[in-house]
Amino acid sequence: MKLSTLGLASALTLGLAAGSALAEYPDRPVNMVIPYGAGGATDISARTISEPLGKAVGQPLVMSNIAGAGGATGSVAVQNATGDGYTMLFARVGTHSVSPAMKATLPYTLDDFRFVAVYEINPIVCVTSPRSGITSMEELIAKIGDGGISYSSAGVGSLHQLSAVMIMREFGIQDPLSAATHIPQKSGGAAATAILNGTATFLCTNSSAVASFVTGGQLIPLMVTTENRVEGFDAPSAAELGRPSLHQLVGWTGIASPDDLPDDVAAKWSDWMADATQDAQFRERMEARGSIIKLMSPEEANAFIRGQYDTFRTLVDELGMRIEG
Amino acid sequence: MSIFDNLVAGLGLVANFEAFLSLFIGVIIGTIGGAVPGMSVTMTVALTLPFTFAMTPITGILLLLGVYKGGVFGGSIPAILIKTPGTPASSATVMDGYPMAEKGEAGRALGMALWASCTADLISNLSLILFAGFLASFALSFRPPEFFTLILFSLTIISGVSGKSMLRGAFSAVMGLLLATVGLDLVYGTNRFTFGDPNLMGGLNFIAVLIGLFAIPEILSVVWKPGDAHDRTRGLGKNWVTFAEYKRSFKSIVRGSVIGVVLGSIPGIGAAPSAFLSYSEARRKSPKKENFGKGEIEGVAAAEAGNNGVAGATLIPLLSLGIPGDVITAIIIGAFMIHGLQPGPMMFVTNADLIYGLFIGLIVSSVFLFFIGSAAIRVFKFVADVPRSILFPSILVLCVYGVFAVNNNIFDVGVMFAMGALGFVMLRNDIPAAPFLIAYILGPMLEDNFRQAMLMSGGSPWILVSSPITWVFWGLTALTVTAIVRAGIKAGRNAVQKAVTEEG
Repeated sequence: MKLSTLGLASALTLGLAAGSALAEYPDRPVNMVIPYGAGGATDISARTISEPLGKAVGQPLVMSNIAGAGGATGSVAVQNATGDGYTMLFARVGTHSVSPAMKATLPYTLDDFRFVAVYEINPIVCVTSPRSGITSMEELIAKIGDGGISYSSAGVGSLHQLSAVMIMREFGIQDPLSAATHIPQKSGGAAATAILNGTATFLCTNSSAVASFVTGGQLIPLMVTTENRVEGFDAPSAAELGRPSLHQLVGWTGIASPDDLPDDVAAKWSDWMADATQDAQFRERMEARGSIIKLMSPEEANAFIRGQYDTFRTLVDELGMRIEG
Repeated sequence: MSIFDNLVAGLGLVANFEAFLSLFIGVIIGTIGGAVPGMSVTMTVALTLPFTFAMTPITGILLLLGVYKGGVFGGSIPAILIKTPGTPASSATVMDGYPMAEKGEAGRALGMALWASCTADLISNLSLILFAGFLASFALSFRPPEFFTLILFSLTIISGVSGKSMLRGAFSAVMGLLLATVGLDLVYGTNRFTFGDPNLMGGLNFIAVLIGLFAIPEILSVVWKPGDAHDRTRGLGKNWVTFAEYKRSFKSIVRGSVIGVVLGSIPGIGAAPSAFLSYSEARRKSPKKENFGKGEIEGVAAAEAGNNGVAGATLIPLLSLGIPGDVITAIIIGAFMIHGLQPGPMMFVTNADLIYGLFIGLIVSSVFLFFIGSAAIRVFKFVADVPRSILFPSILVLCVYGVFAVNNNIFDVGVMFAMGALGFVMLRNDIPAAPFLIAYILGPMLEDNFRQAMLMSGGSPWILVSSPITWVFWGLTALTVTAIVRAGIKAGRNAVQKAVTEEG
């Protein structure tokens, strides 16, 4: 932390000094904002790629966790920064498609950012406890019809909540909000615990968050939202279940900048990311955590994130789920 | 394979120089990180994590566990010396540790903190090894209704740390509850008391509140009363705690360790409530009740036993169920996964050697902690020798830096100063800070679990008495409240009698 603060301070001073000089970008350390706390999924992902990425950039990457308010605090810090390529953000599904769709009071919109890459995809999986007696999506949907079913999440306005609602809707439940009870928890970890101890019936979450429970037989996977099956999860994919529209429902991590980033700088990031994601050690570490490494160009990334946001927003508006206060 | 075979296999895994060296280094890093105010154990562990990527699994995980163990003890050093808990878990240590330091007995307090920490650490590690299976099933029976009753019972601690006046303690607790409501509502996701400011949406930063409440008022007091022993140094005092004192506090240490083990094995509670609960139980049982809060060495022992008792037990849900008990173990679980290991019941079958290797490492860590802690006390004792006119400005700089570093957010520094002003007013009016802190930690847990329980039952309150665990805690709560009321009536009567005799 000492180093990163020092780096941040020196980056700022250098920035003032070199503001007018027209040196080749990048000629000083780049400040990379992680909008979540140290040790979380985003943090680990960011720090894993920072190693090969730092080599590609050729300048030190100063990683700073600016956490709080579900990633909003860090995102605002980058939104307000200058788009000179020296302040970049690790954007996440939560900060840049779920929150903008769910929260009316969010202090930023997608238009405030320019996405230079999406590099990691996390499949979403729905799980239940063996005690529930449910073994397939069909049975789950039937039980929801009977009533008394609940689902956990990492909180109101989280990907977990949205996933459960979207999946129920896709499986023909017209009013998912009243058909099943939402029992929000404080974090993704607590949401999984709530299924293990019987507080709630099912949970739709990142596959990596529940992989160990599925391997150990403590949780039963019901489906994955990807096109293909996910290794380690003995459950049908959305394609097999005939719900291809659920393919959009995945977690991701990418890199964003303030919206006024010059094109040449964005192009450089694109190249650096292409280099960094080729790194064997990076791939190995990420895949061990259940992530799929998939690099998107700036155009693909923008289209992907917009598409996901639009889908979420439509659903949220249809069901009146938007949080206004 | 029998346990013995596993132990041998585990020994084979850890019996190399690197494993013990990394554990040793981990304890050193942790002790230092814990001792720097604002640099919490969580942050120290998170910063150490990337270094473990390149190590073998056992070496890397032992490094992190060393940091964890060292940090929980390290937090007590600034708590005793400068009234600033290095980690939230050591807040309870402040209550008797700092008065002892003021009396020139910092050495004794630190010594007792170390002995209590090592003892509790050992008990906690042994419980992990012997009772992991049993305690793990216990952990899973804690759903929101059980949590609600447990936390309700824990709130009775407030009476134990209120000091002289129950009314002032209650007032302090109410303020803590009030400030804890700031942020996003759990069930509706709406903003509460955020005044449209994104900085407030996540609630007030806990580290900022903690440091603001404890450290800043001390600094302000020095400014308020300049010339009051300005360049006085306190010295470390009589250098070491005696075995007789350890023996006298032993009961409290064991009680604190057991409280730590039980609360540590339940995911989501953490070390701070455990330290407070252990402290208030020790006070309740002690014949020298009056002395608590004024520099009673048993109070230091109880608080430190309570927080270190958690440190081994949090690994119970981690290793046996794959559930991280707190933020720190959530980071450690990341280290497992980086190496392709999945903590959980299967791990005892697939990686039994690793688990037993970790067990051996944990036991050794208690020993390392003892030696490194002794050395750390000798180094940090110079802090006690620094004149206040130099010490306090330095603390202020450290606090500002530490609070900023948590989230790299200047707003948090403002929160710290605002809380400092509040803490100063409280200090001037004899309002204790500990009840504020307990309410601030437990209040939101009580609310969240109550509302989750109501969601589970569809609004029926009967769910709160639906299991044997809830009955136990309702019973304990009733007993404690009765005891408090009776003590209050008795104290009132005595006061009246005293007044009558004085008049007559």
